[in-house]
Amino acid sequence: MFDFLIHVSIMASLYAVLALSLNLQLGIAGLVNFGQILLFGAGAYGAAFAFSNQLGLAAGIGAGLALAVCVGLLFARLGRGLGGDYWGIATLAVAEACRMLLQTGGDLTGGAQGISGLPPLFEAGSRQDAALMTLGVCLAFLAAVYWLCRSLTHSRYGLSLKILREEPQLAVSLGYNPNALRTQVLVLSSMIAAVGGVIFAHYISFVGPDQIVAAETFLIWAMVIVGGVGNHFGVILGAVLMQFLFAFVPFAKDLLDMPSDYVAAMRLALVGGGLLIFLLWRPQGLVRERIGGGHRGG
Amino acid sequence: MKRGMLLAATVSLAAMASAALAEPLKIGAVLSLSGPSATAGEDQRRGIELAVEEINAAGGVLSEPVQLIIEDSGGRVPSALDAAKKLVTVDDVPVVLGEYSSGITIPMGTYVVQEGRIHLNMGSSSGKVRDIGENSFSVIGLDRVSSGYAAQDLYDLGYRKIAVITPNNAFGQGVAQEFNQAFGGLGGEVVSSVLYTEGQTSYRRELQQMDRTQPDAYFYSAYGKEAATINREAFELGLNQTQWYAGYMSMCTSDSQPEYIEGQIGYDLNFIGDNGQAYEAAYQERYGEPFVTSFSGYAYDAAKMIMKAAEHAGSTDPEALRTALTEIGGTGFEGATGTILFDESRQRSKQPYLKQKIVDGKAQAR
Amino acid sequence: MLQFFVDVILRTVDLALIAVALSCVYSLIRFPNIALVQYATAGALIALGLQTLGLPLYLAIVLSCVITGLMAVVLSVLIFEKLLDTSPPLAMVGSLAVSMIFTAVFLVTVGPRPKRFDLEIMAPVRWAGVSITPMQLVSVGLTMGAILLFALLLFRTGLGRSMRATSTNRVLAEATGIPTRKVINGVIVLSGILAALGGISISLKGEMGAQLGFDLLLPIFAAAILGGLGNALGAALGAFTIALAETFVTNVNFGWVVSQDFYFLPASFATIVSFGLLVLILLFRPHGLLVSEVKRV
Repeated sequence: MFDFLIHVSIMASLYAVLALSLNLQLGIAGLVNFGQILLFGAGAYGAAFAFSNQLGLAAGIGAGLALAVCVGLLFARLGRGLGGDYWGIATLAVAEACRMLLQTGGDLTGGAQGISGLPPLFEAGSRQDAALMTLGVCLAFLAAVYWLCRSLTHSRYGLSLKILREEPQLAVSLGYNPNALRTQVLVLSSMIAAVGGVIFAHYISFVGPDQIVAAETFLIWAMVIVGGVGNHFGVILGAVLMQFLFAFVPFAKDLLDMPSDYVAAMRLALVGGGLLIFLLWRPQGLVRERIGGGHRGG
Repeated sequence: MKRGMLLAATVSLAAMASAALAEPLKIGAVLSLSGPSATAGEDQRRGIELAVEEINAAGGVLSEPVQLIIEDSGGRVPSALDAAKKLVTVDDVPVVLGEYSSGITIPMGTYVVQEGRIHLNMGSSSGKVRDIGENSFSVIGLDRVSSGYAAQDLYDLGYRKIAVITPNNAFGQGVAQEFNQAFGGLGGEVVSSVLYTEGQTSYRRELQQMDRTQPDAYFYSAYGKEAATINREAFELGLNQTQWYAGYMSMCTSDSQPEYIEGQIGYDLNFIGDNGQAYEAAYQERYGEPFVTSFSGYAYDAAKMIMKAAEHAGSTDPEALRTALTEIGGTGFEGATGTILFDESRQRSKQPYLKQKIVDGKAQAR
Repeated sequence: MLQFFVDVILRTVDLALIAVALSCVYSLIRFPNIALVQYATAGALIALGLQTLGLPLYLAIVLSCVITGLMAVVLSVLIFEKLLDTSPPLAMVGSLAVSMIFTAVFLVTVGPRPKRFDLEIMAPVRWAGVSITPMQLVSVGLTMGAILLFALLLFRTGLGRSMRATSTNRVLAEATGIPTRKVINGVIVLSGILAALGGISISLKGEMGAQLGFDLLLPIFAAAILGGLGNALGAALGAFTIALAETFVTNVNFGWVVSQDFYFLPASFATIVSFGLLVLILLFRPHGLLVSEVKRV
């Protein structure tokens, strides 16, 4: 059970990082990104490309960041002339097209079979020690991202992003350049997601196109909405909650003696239902966003 | 290394102790019960359940009923890993069966093997399965075995120009690649090779693209809704005037109308032996329909084989199971899908297939 | 060449009705309702269920359209309007959530295996190198008829005038005495019917399954956006454009480029190219091919 908990905690902290990255876009800058998983995938594939070219972790992080920044810039360029809902669909289309390209990519991307055999982050000691060390890295990275997001939100810069989100015209009249602001946010959150992807790739030692299907993006969305759009701590809570619920669906099945083919329906209903309930009855999420920039505490 | 051996020794000692206490054999399985491969996953479940029911009705393994724990992967890697980790660390199963698509089988099997448990592959035919590790066994012939068989069969039938259509996933890419190599090696030519995108409403355009290369025969391997669509549209476009050859006949044709598939030839798993026929009858009896895919047979054999291994070893310890499996697979295990013989990398090296033809809507031996 | 044209038309028919429904709802309440693709699946599955119960097919279809239309308006009143009050982008996420619950329901009730209507299998008609089945003709006829009726409704009736007025300026329309509430609900019922018909017309000529709608999500959005979201008839043109691009990619022989007899792009490029087309058009004509005004920030 302990090993299982370590595993679920690693996954939860990686998803929390992804959720924070989405929250930065959605909650702080008001960007409706439906292609979030591609940013993560850019990191994972970066690590895999580095591995298949006999390069190490540092090169993997570099490649992952570079790919993710490219995607982020493309998203930002698309966002220039588009309304929020159009942009959401456009990002989804880009993510799906890229997934298909990776799947058709032949030897370079491993096609549908992906690239396997990536070494774990830590080789030393027992498997449990290695898993604990991986968990340590994930938690440290999560803490760093949380700190970054928080200080960003509380800064003048964060305030300008919120103005942009709530009153775009006001932001322009105050002399802010909305395109530049959006681009910066996208690049930053792409890099965060990409590092998460690199860690994930080395943790499960395999990268493939099935990992970046649109349903994964929707799961991250559910985490952000359930946690509370705009609130970093809430979003982490949402991610951890959703990940644990997901992981424990099989246990619920054992307890309730349900046929195992209902598990899938249950997962879908959990994501969909969770999203819907929170959107309808608690749009502020588990933890409400703090309004205002300089206000500190909690 | 020494520590590892010491550990192994302790583990087998512990296993002997537990065998004395007659611990029940727990079999874990991670299956795609939902998501894109649900048809095959559901059928695998049927096979495993039938095997376990049969053995339990006959008194179980080591005089204890076998416990079967099935988890859904939802067709996604993270969920498959969650499920495998639950099976290993919480339910503490010595063996995990699964999955279906190679993209999931490989990371999941790697994890199971790392944990020192047994992994039995019964659905993925990708060549990369070979590299999962010491504790991983395949009861299914990998792509090279099945596609090589199809290539030889088509060549022997006198076809020289073949058009190939398979899904654009790990299974389909593997089949197409191995078939191309095998058929080319024999001196034939693959004139067109289409990897179709799953989930489309129509494959007319892909089919016509193949038609233009004027093949002698079409080789396809598909399942679920896509197989039904392809068979219907080949009929509608008149492409069925040319010979169609199905890789895994029952899988390709189970969801299609009989009119669409009349006259197709192909190969399928060999259910002809005593075991095979008994299994076919049991399946029909229990589920009230003929085989939905070919994969239930492998699943049945995988479950049967691990149960036999536990009986043989007199233990449910993974190390003992591994030794027993190697022994049983070395001399040949008589399964429903024919004799299972492992090669040195624990993969099924040869497999008897059955040559079939659809006559009056039913598959018959040819 | 004729076969090429037939393929384009058949693909257009797959996408057109649902895309029109999507665009039509968007013109009145400004959010793209993802759940519409699930109404299509629901429409087909309900019709199948009714046929299994013993109803003749045409009656099953009519009844299924009515049920789906009513379902659309109930969901809209109970869920989407509330969400729209908070934020339109979140309403889109809400419609995504509803879609997931739909899939869960389909999985539990219908299961993962493909289904088809109980129809006699008829030999295809062959003419000038083209083969087409009677059911494909029915499906094309159904779609064109529905779009034509919809166009007539939009441009030749009082209701259509009210709809157009409401979509252009809701406040002004209300001031002139148009019952905008009723108009909006009417349009939502209509969109449900159109989507259901779209799903049924796909299933008539082939198979249906729990994933039918979700698989169509992006091509349909691509079609609707190409035509300009909110421009209902533009969506039909968008569907045609997508179908044309896809068919072009799958059917053009690039053998001369690599000096072989035959060389075709991988089949997955059909989808990649149509999404790519969408992205390109959004880059240069952000609001679609047919909508020129930029009203929103």
